[in-house]
Amino acid sequence: MSDTDNTHRFERVDWEEIDRSGRSLSSTRATVAVSLLAFAALYTLETAGIVSLGWHLERIDWVILLGLVVLGSLVGVPAVRRPEVTRRIISRLVSRPIHAAAAGFLAALSLVGIFGSLILGSPELSFAHRLHAPYGFASQAGWHAECLGEIHQGEGITRYCEGSLSYPLGTNHRGHPMGYLLVEGARITLYVLVFTAAFIVPLASTVGVVAGFRGGRIDDFLTSYIDVQLCVPAIVAFFIGYMYWNASLLLLLVMFGLLSWGGIARLVRSETLQRREDGHVLVARSLGASPVYIAKRHIVPNITNTLVPAIFHLLALLVLVEAGVAFLGFHDIELYSWGSTIQEGLDPPVTGVGLRMAAHEIWWVSTLPAVALTLTLASLKLVGDGLRDALDPRQNT
Amino acid sequence: MSERIGGADERSDPLLEVEDLETHFPITRGFLRREVGRVRAVDGVSFRIDRGETFGLVGESGSGKTTTALSALRLEEPTGGEIRFDGESVTDLSGADLRAFRRRAQLIVQDPNDAFNPRMTVGEAVAEPLALHGMNDAERRRRIVADLLERVGLAADDADRYPHEFSGGEKQRIAIARALVLNPDLIVADEPTSALDGRVQSDVLALLDDVRREFDVAVLFISHDIDVVRQFCDRLAVMYLGEIVERGPTAEVLNDPAHPYTRVLLGSVPSLDPSDRELARPLTDSVPEPSDPPAGCRFHPRCPDVIAPADVDLEPDLWRTVAAFRFSVRTGELPPEIDAARGTEDPEPGIDETTVREAFDLPGELPDDRAEEGVAAAAEAIARGDLDAATDTLAEAFPTVCGRESPADGDRHERQVRCHRYDSAVEATPRSSSRTLETDG
Repeated sequence: MSDTDNTHRFERVDWEEIDRSGRSLSSTRATVAVSLLAFAALYTLETAGIVSLGWHLERIDWVILLGLVVLGSLVGVPAVRRPEVTRRIISRLVSRPIHAAAAGFLAALSLVGIFGSLILGSPELSFAHRLHAPYGFASQAGWHAECLGEIHQGEGITRYCEGSLSYPLGTNHRGHPMGYLLVEGARITLYVLVFTAAFIVPLASTVGVVAGFRGGRIDDFLTSYIDVQLCVPAIVAFFIGYMYWNASLLLLLVMFGLLSWGGIARLVRSETLQRREDGHVLVARSLGASPVYIAKRHIVPNITNTLVPAIFHLLALLVLVEAGVAFLGFHDIELYSWGSTIQEGLDPPVTGVGLRMAAHEIWWVSTLPAVALTLTLASLKLVGDGLRDALDPRQNT
Repeated sequence: MSERIGGADERSDPLLEVEDLETHFPITRGFLRREVGRVRAVDGVSFRIDRGETFGLVGESGSGKTTTALSALRLEEPTGGEIRFDGESVTDLSGADLRAFRRRAQLIVQDPNDAFNPRMTVGEAVAEPLALHGMNDAERRRRIVADLLERVGLAADDADRYPHEFSGGEKQRIAIARALVLNPDLIVADEPTSALDGRVQSDVLALLDDVRREFDVAVLFISHDIDVVRQFCDRLAVMYLGEIVERGPTAEVLNDPAHPYTRVLLGSVPSLDPSDRELARPLTDSVPEPSDPPAGCRFHPRCPDVIAPADVDLEPDLWRTVAAFRFSVRTGELPPEIDAARGTEDPEPGIDETTVREAFDLPGELPDDRAEEGVAAAAEAIARGDLDAATDTLAEAFPTVCGRESPADGDRHERQVRCHRYDSAVEATPRSSSRTLETDG
């Protein structure tokens, strides 16, 4: 066609030229590849003892670090690349005070979980200071060898030790400050959240989208596998693992995580089945879009109305499961989960002549982590609902 | 309209050429997905579209027109036949050639409500083809989209709004913009206006017609609405159960329909002209399953012009009643009074030959001996409750050529008609239609 009809056509595009320039590596993929490589290099160098980070990382810490890299590439990079969309979603999320408060709580929890133990470090065990009450409250003076606050006389021979600012939230039966225990619990909760969000949710979504989109034998195979998997009780699998290996948070996360994604996968599959016949999917296919592109841009964004609340429900569920297993005592003894702290507060393992205490007399040991756990669960649910609304452009708030 | 059948060499190369296209879908059962049957959605369809031409594909829902279009765009894998776009076989394309084809052929889907990703702004949606084909310059994409949105009658600012903020007609305008953004040579429009109401429909059609002329795009226009096709298309093909039954220039086909099915389709459009009621009505309204198409001519079970056997001598109206009787029995669609009686376990069902004849509007006695014999035997079998025996009796008594052999494409004036009445090998004359011939040539 000659140049004369340029006026009739809108801008002429030399597709041959664009085609030849080829599909260069997009910035997103480059960022992801670089961060994965950096992670692998760090892991190799650190385990070989060539580089020291200054503090010791357990296996679970590495897994969570990898999880953070995955989350960064799945959520962080797209959010940074399209700042106006991110800004819109966040402003819509925080437009309702209750959702804003929940999101703020989760943000604070993440910050405390990541930096709290780095800053606070690990305090010395001081049995002499055990069972101090929080500031403004009092505990029996005979429970601990040294009272840091003022002592006042109660009825009869009972004397009370006022809580002091040395331990503003009190201490537990080992003399661990409650603030430290809460921070440690927050870190473990954050581990559960990161592990689930970075590994379990992408796994469930991928399986669901593939089953729904590909159909046929792949769908048959995946759905039957999910059905079988849903029949395996995760707690039994966990206890079998517990018998042979040490109780560890990683074992718990792997067992409960890998056995609990069937529901989300099913949900995603049925939503995908409905979406894949939509006109915009057909048009995208007619333009030569790859299945991965269609899944990423046309299917997953359109199923967030059911997917996002389901994900946050799963997150809350696994946080609760971790606390529950720790409450029962099947946790890594070195990790101070909120669940185990609650249990210690309800049934104080204190021995000694004449030492008797009821759970309500040391209420702060169980109540503070219980409040933290409750707030976390409530915040997860609220943020799930808020995010669903914020992602849907049809919701006008 | 310089179309001439049989003179393919004289024409310039067509843009899209479809030859004997077959798209069958397997019906599978069990975990191993054993094939137990096939849905013959498209079964031997041929047509060609020239550059800048609008070609209509008409038919009832389920006739395979959408599957034909999707196969032509290589969105459904054809099981047979050949599709050539600009001389190259579409099924063999790969790499850069396939990407070029994906740019040159665009699709507009039927429902404007799911034509757009609800999570993408209109600007993103219209720019998506550009981005998918590697245009990374966001500013350039934005410029092109703004220009196009204005051309289809929207504002450039609308690019930042979401699809749900637009009406159906506006969405279809945006769909046209999206189809145009890559400067295509062919647009496949799958019932683009069927979800819209009257005035909006003609606005969108007018827009599509304008851009087609301005940008010299060929359009494959799919519709069940004869009137829309009459307005919009240069040539058309009528599809029935996966086959094209009649094909030719729009004005000729619609003013003087040759195939009985085309007449039935035209008859289904309400008209203000009382003389139009003369047009044919189908014998039954149920469309056979494409997984089990009737033998012979696929339309023969519903055809008002089904050809009588040579040795049966009946008035045309009477023959049609007998044919209707025969096909109702075969499909098991009995009139309610007989069907109700069949359902009961009553040994005296209360139906006999006479009630059967009444239910099917058959006279007490047929003038032709052979015919009378067959009808009597079948009516008696139905009264007994033995539907299979009745079916066999009737098939034996009235062996019509329409049910036996598939018709070949016959010629009439400047078009192809797939009907035995136009087949030189069969001795049957075409029934003249009630409409007068008004060709514009």
